Parts: sequence; structure tokens; C-alpha cells
Amino acid sequence: MTKGLWDRETVALMLLAAYMPLALTWLWFGGTDALARLLLALVVSGIWHLVFMLARAQPPSLAGAIAALGVAMLAPEDLGLLRMVLGVSFGAVMGELVFGGWGRNVVNPATVTLSFLGFGFPAFPWPGFVEPVAWAAIPAALIGLAFGVMPAGVILGAVLVGVTASLAGLLPAVLVPAAGIVLVLLVACPVASAATELARWLNGAFYGALMVIFAISWDGAAPVQMAVSAALLASLAAPLFDEIAIGLWLARRRRPHGRS
Amino acid sequence: MITEEAGLTGPAHGELRVTPLVEEGAQVAHGAPVACLRHAPEICLTAPMAATVGAIRLGPGRRMGEIVFFRESGGGRHEHALDGALSEASLRRLMQGAGLWPLLQRRPFGNMPAPGERPAAIFVMGSDTRPFAPDPEVALNGSERVFGEGLDALCHLTDGPVIVCHSRAELPLGTKRAHEQVKTLRCGPRHPQGLAGMRIHSAFPAELDAPVWDIHAEDVAAIGALLETGLVPETRLIHVAGSALRESRFVRTQPGADLRGLTYGEVLPGPHMLMTGSPLDGREAHWLGTRDRQVTVMPRGPRRRGRHWFIEALTGSAMPRPIIPTSALTHAFGGGLPAAPLARALAAGDDETAMKLGALSLLEEDVALADYVLGGHGTLAGALRRMLDRTETEFAA
Repeated sequence: MTKGLWDRETVALMLLAAYMPLALTWLWFGGTDALARLLLALVVSGIWHLVFMLARAQPPSLAGAIAALGVAMLAPEDLGLLRMVLGVSFGAVMGELVFGGWGRNVVNPATVTLSFLGFGFPAFPWPGFVEPVAWAAIPAALIGLAFGVMPAGVILGAVLVGVTASLAGLLPAVLVPAAGIVLVLLVACPVASAATELARWLNGAFYGALMVIFAISWDGAAPVQMAVSAALLASLAAPLFDEIAIGLWLARRRRPHGRS
Repeated sequence: MITEEAGLTGPAHGELRVTPLVEEGAQVAHGAPVACLRHAPEICLTAPMAATVGAIRLGPGRRMGEIVFFRESGGGRHEHALDGALSEASLRRLMQGAGLWPLLQRRPFGNMPAPGERPAAIFVMGSDTRPFAPDPEVALNGSERVFGEGLDALCHLTDGPVIVCHSRAELPLGTKRAHEQVKTLRCGPRHPQGLAGMRIHSAFPAELDAPVWDIHAEDVAAIGALLETGLVPETRLIHVAGSALRESRFVRTQPGADLRGLTYGEVLPGPHMLMTGSPLDGREAHWLGTRDRQVTVMPRGPRRRGRHWFIEALTGSAMPRPIIPTSALTHAFGGGLPAAPLARALAAGDDETAMKLGALSLLEEDVALADYVLGGHGTLAGALRRMLDRTETEFAA
């Protein structure tokens, strides 16, 4: 028997390739500071993958690098070494590795880290993004969609809601860059988002709707903070959407057959 | 092309308990019964050509191993008695006696139907999209009329529809195309779309108490020919292909043909393996499988050097691999069903969810593409088979 190539590591590699435009633009504008954050997140995440490989025989995955990139780009600034190490460790271990590694986790490990840091250390400022970095999220999404490793429904659903809300004046333009980057980095994860077609659209639309709600009623929150909170809630709701979508599919399927 | 040797074998999975009706060394005519099922003696296995019975190998409990035949020229053909008007009972008796019954496949579980079972629907597969598969419509060339006869006959076996799946616009439905029960179903030209499992799953899902049969279109023509002449056709169209061959070719050969005879002189130098079935779901074998219409010859890679024990332990402990829902997985299931939840339910052994999502309509061949796409470890096919076996045991109890 010959062998196809869409196993877990290929998908992780493709995702990493898709994130390259975003990561490189961000590094270009962030300089050594950004590089240091990325290296720290990579090293801590790598150490935990190594620990779980030795202790639990879980093969390490390139997906650890994806989570590290998300954390480095979106974590609050000036956290200091200790808090950063704590946050990345919590996300990598509790968000991903205890479930058996990437592919079996429920929430994106980067989302876990960021929520942990955001709730645990609310005094630190959330990062902002220069315009070119936000634009670089578009090629990242396009590459991900072209290779089929990012769920198309999630991205399109979120964009649909976002565009509609922007036209209606409900989503301020300040929020759009952060919302777009978080959409690509955290929400459009193939594992943590919904797995059926309809549920993916619902999931993306839910993320967009949460952004709109936060924009209207959450005073004093930074754009990235809103987007990360929306990403956390959206990925927690993903199984519910899957359940709804499968229920609808079964109901529609039963009708023409007229049996059972 | 008729090979010098041929062999009857049991199914790829499950067991077939048989009682031999001939001795080793006996002369048999083409189509003469050589064995019958132990628990359903009316179902016979018949000789694929006029031959001497070379060997009868049975496993413990008279499980079918193989029955080997050596060709004898001028052995004649066994004529099956046609008794007057076509009725359901006479058709069943004829098909079972002439060895055509094993060509039917039953879902759920994928075994041969019981002699008296009435299916909820019969799917006639006039399309086959597996890699290197011969086009059933080419196989039907020249036998359109008997195909129509066969379709009419199949209508006696079920109260439900007889659904003809095809991938081209024009289909030789024979003369009696106006038959009420016969329906047609267009299916796409790309791989999983032309599989019986995918079509049954979307058009008429099989259930525990509502089995669905499927049969290849060429075998329907064989039923028609049998009804007309009392003789079973001698050959079927198969495609011998694969990357270890000089050139691929279509041949008409007998059922159970010898794979070495079919590929003799055509194989490239070097180690190779002979598989009956497609590259995706084929299995290494000596003889052409009962329902198979493809022979795949693949080069056997150099023997893998033993990997480091640590890498071996890591990869071993990661089984079954986590399933990442990508577009590749969705397309591997034809896009019509929730692929990732189904694959996850199968891999996790969640029989109830898998059944709810329609796994009872599927067989190993239907998840073979997903297995290939996900890295070729055969885990989904194995998981599906275990799930079906568990369900079958529970249902029988």
C-alpha cells in the first residue's frame, strides 16, 4: 500500500508555511524584541514537548511552533521572563499535551496561554499591530485555504459577519486588524474549530458576532483582548455547533428515505 | 485469456465454511458445483473453467482455504437447469446453484447474503472509480440485452428499488428500461464517488434490519445470460495494472484466475507484489478475488532497515494517529458526509456515533481512500471492520 501525505505533521508544516508571511512581517517590524519573545516561547514550548515525549511517549509536533508564534505575537507586553514562561507552560501542558498532543486537544494551546495571561495579569498592556502586519494576515489565510489546512467556513463566516457589521457601522475600524490576526492565528485552527461544514460557518460567524458585541459593550478593553476572548468563547462553543450541524444533517437525511 | 490454473478462495475477512462436493483429481466442467456452504447447502461454489481439481485446502472447521484447478481443454460447460417461468424461488435456486450468489455483497457487514434474505434495495454498480479500475460500461459492451434481463430478474429479489449507478449519460438499460422498480443514479467521475458504499450511504442507507445489496453490472449481465442459456459466462473483464508492470492491459479472464499467469512476462525486474483489488484496498493474493476486477502489481520497496528503537517506540505509541480535519479528509469521503466526526468516532471505537453517521453502509473499501490520505496506516479500515464485527455479534445475539 502506498502512502498519502496528509498526516498530522504535514498539516502542521502546511499551517506553519501559511503563517510565514504573517510571522516574517511581524518580525521585520518588531525587531529583536519580537525575536526574543518568539525564541522564548519556542524554547519553553519545545521543552514541554520534550518532557512529554520522554515521560509519556508522545511524539513532539511542529504544532508547538505554531502555538509559540501565536503566543509571541499576541501576549501582553512587558510581562517579564517568569510570567511568560508560566503562561506558555500552562497553555502547552494544560491546553494540548495532557490530552495526548496536537489533534486531540479541545482548545488551541495559544488561546489557553493568552487567556491565562490576560486573566492572570490584567495590568499589562496588550500589544498593538502596525498596518503591514495586519495586511499580512490575508496572504496567510489564502495560503491556508488553498492547501485546505485552514477551515474555509470559519474564515469566510467570520469575514462575512465582519464585513456586514463594518458596513452597518457596528465594528470600529480600530478592531479590524487585531480581529483579523486572531482569526487567522487562533480561530482558524483546524483542530480546535468545528469539524463539519455548517458548524464551521456558524463557528466563524459566532466569532464575528462576539467581536461586534464586545465592540459595542466592552468599554476599556484593548482590541487584542477582545479578539482573544472572542476566540476562546468561539472555540469552546465549537462542539455545540458540531452537534447542531450533525443533528440537522441527520434530520435532513431521514426525511427523503422515510425510514427509521 | 484463460490462465492455466485458477483458484477459489474465501472472502478477505470473515469465514466461509464449505462442504466439498468433488474429490481431488476429479474432472469438472466449467460451472459445475465443486463445493457448497456448510450451513446453506443450496449455495454452491462452481468451477471457474473446465479443469481437474488440483487441491482442496480447508482450514479447521472446514473453513474455506482454497480450491485449486488445473485447466483441461475440452472439459465442456455445465448447463444449469432452467425450470420454466421466472419466479423468485426459481431465480434464487438458479443463482445459488450456479455460483452467482457470492457475487452479491450485503451491507451492513459486507458478507454474502443469506439464501432467503430480501434486501431493502439492490445497487447495481455500473461505475467504478477506484484507481486503475476497468470501466463497467466497457465490460457491458455487447451484453446490453442480457444486462436488461438481469436487471429484470433482480427486481424479483426485492420489494425496494433496484438502483443502477452509472457515471455516463447513456447507459445500456436493455430493452425493458421502463420497469418501475429500476432507478438510475448518476455519480461523479472522481474516486470515492463511484464506490457502492458512498452511493448507498447517500441514496439508501443500509440498516441492521434493512440490508442493502450491491452487485457489479457485469455480474448482472451474467445473471441475464444464465437465465437465457443456462450457462455461466466464462470470463470477466479485468484490468491488470500497477507501477511494476511494463504496460497495463485489459484482459477477459476467468474468475479466480492465477495472478502470476496474468502478469507473466509483463513484470519489470525486481521484487514486486501481486494484489487482487485496487492499489488502495487490494490485498496480496495468489488468485483473483471473488468480486475483484483488478490486479495491481506494485514494486516491493527495499526491505526497511530496522529503525532506532526510540523512534519505533514513539511511532508505535502514537497509534492511532490523531485525525486533523482538513479538506483532504472531507474529499476522501466524497464530501457528502461529516467526515471528521465519522473518522474520529471510528478511531475512538464509538460504535453508536459511527452507526448514527452511517457507518453501517460502509465497508473497508470505502474508507481506504481516507486511510491513504491520512498517511496510509490502515487504521480506519481496521477500526471499521472491528466496529462492524462487534455490531454483528451484538445483533446476532
